[in-house]
Amino acid sequence: MTTVTLQGLGKRYGTTTALDAVDLSIGVGVTGLLGPNGAGKTTLLRCLATALGPDSGTIRVHGLDPAVAAQRTEVRRRIGYLPQNPGLYPNFTAYALLDYVAVLKEITDTRQRRAEVRRVLDEVELTDRAKTKVRKLSGGMRQRLGLAQALLGDPELVILDEPTVGLDPEQRMLFRALISRLGERRTVLLSTHQTEDVGALCERVVVMSGGRVVFEGGPRDLAQVAEGQVWLSETPPQGNAAYWRNADGFYRTLGRRPDGAEPARPSIEDGYLLLLGNVAVTEAIR
Amino acid sequence: MTTDWHIDPGLIEQYENGTLVPSRVMAVEAHMLSCAACRALIPAEDAWLDDSWSAVYDELHAPRVGPVARLLTRAGLPGHRLRLLTATPALRWSWVLATSAVLTLAVAAAWFGREGSQAIGQAFLALAPILPVIAVSGAYGPPADPMHEITGTTPAAGPGLVLWRAVSVIGVAVVMAGVAAVLLPGPGWYAAAWLLPALLLSTGTLALATSLTLPVAAVVLGALWLTGVLVVARTAEGLFVSSVFGPTAQLAYLLAAAVFAAVLITRRRRFDLGESR
Repeated sequence: MTTVTLQGLGKRYGTTTALDAVDLSIGVGVTGLLGPNGAGKTTLLRCLATALGPDSGTIRVHGLDPAVAAQRTEVRRRIGYLPQNPGLYPNFTAYALLDYVAVLKEITDTRQRRAEVRRVLDEVELTDRAKTKVRKLSGGMRQRLGLAQALLGDPELVILDEPTVGLDPEQRMLFRALISRLGERRTVLLSTHQTEDVGALCERVVVMSGGRVVFEGGPRDLAQVAEGQVWLSETPPQGNAAYWRNADGFYRTLGRRPDGAEPARPSIEDGYLLLLGNVAVTEAIR
Repeated sequence: MTTDWHIDPGLIEQYENGTLVPSRVMAVEAHMLSCAACRALIPAEDAWLDDSWSAVYDELHAPRVGPVARLLTRAGLPGHRLRLLTATPALRWSWVLATSAVLTLAVAAAWFGREGSQAIGQAFLALAPILPVIAVSGAYGPPADPMHEITGTTPAAGPGLVLWRAVSVIGVAVVMAGVAAVLLPGPGWYAAAWLLPALLLSTGTLALATSLTLPVAAVVLGALWLTGVLVVARTAEGLFVSSVFGPTAQLAYLLAAAVFAAVLITRRRRFDLGESR
């Protein structure tokens, strides 16, 4: 079932085009949004989360149009949003912060609100940290608290902007497990730089570049983009090909076959790098 | 730990009925702690237990209600509305205490430096209307509110929330400046002369914030007011108070505030992040 439909979505900041006629349909499950810096991922998520009005095109969330004020409020009742910089009040306790956001989400009855706060704290495994101030939580816990506030009110659409940035491997695994559970019955749109996140979590992946959607499909389809273009060799390739030395000491080359190289199984990252060309390769190498 | 001995069914029945003497209740409960089989004979009221634990958890973790909040609740402000207002950046204790300190110093300077008290009184009149404007600039949105992006995408976001917060901070600022005005040496009407300019600047800031950000709107209007006041002070020396705070000026402030209020009502949707600007 389609939850979100975007048609011809456009947004400009001065002379810079952030979104250029984006068409997209998203349904239940986890959809990953990949792209280099400045690809338009955050702008797209902000438009969907009603934090930003687009300049052109249409958005429909469950058939509702956020451009209409009354329908926008209804859309907000159905979404949970974790921005890139959530700015959670450092002097609030985890419980007080969720209690506050629950009020913003129109849960005005005290008993119902407290039950909801307990539910989301339990869902993100922070029940025992309810009385800890936000500034004393670790980065991973803070990010889970950010996720908890997005889950208040049991939204049908959850929008997460780079939630795994800066997390250590253990916290990242925990976060992935949480997002994976969410995707069982909700629509989750997850922006990330990490192709590993996409491979581990997403049923669908959307790649953006220069404000446009350049790929839509499954993670395997993205890897297929690099089929027949990934090579392993014992010596570095000649010319300007993109390559790097892997953990086994072999040179992994993308593009034309270097002399003496053997074909290798492509990964999601290979597909992504080949799809975006120089922009992504430069960013990946950096 | 397991045991071969189990509680007699008659005892269990008395325990369930609540007819067992306390010393035997303690004995039965001590045994049940280590015997799952006997524990299973007592039907547990899971819903009641869950409710009780939830109530205890909330009691321990829910934010404490302070004396001011209790007073406002008694005055009829609903608890959820209070939660919204207490998160307003300009209502944090640090802001309130800093403002109170500045006002206390102004009053003290006026009383202890009696010779310059008239000038201090006039300076107070000129500056007091700015206080609510500064408060409004910290009521909503960036940079005062680091959570503005989350706040702005909830169903409560929009003009209603902005106005609730603005009214609450203006109220607090006016009360603080009002107390200081009453304590200042000088004519009694000084205590009220700054109120209409404050209303004008506050509504003006909010109206202007439908096109600019709140802090920029506050700076623009604050600067305009101070420039105007300084120009009058330079050109109409001796007539400063009557020119800026006299009846004609007060009427003009009231009319201008009404115009700003009309602009604010017409353009209030602009406070919604989701509106295209």
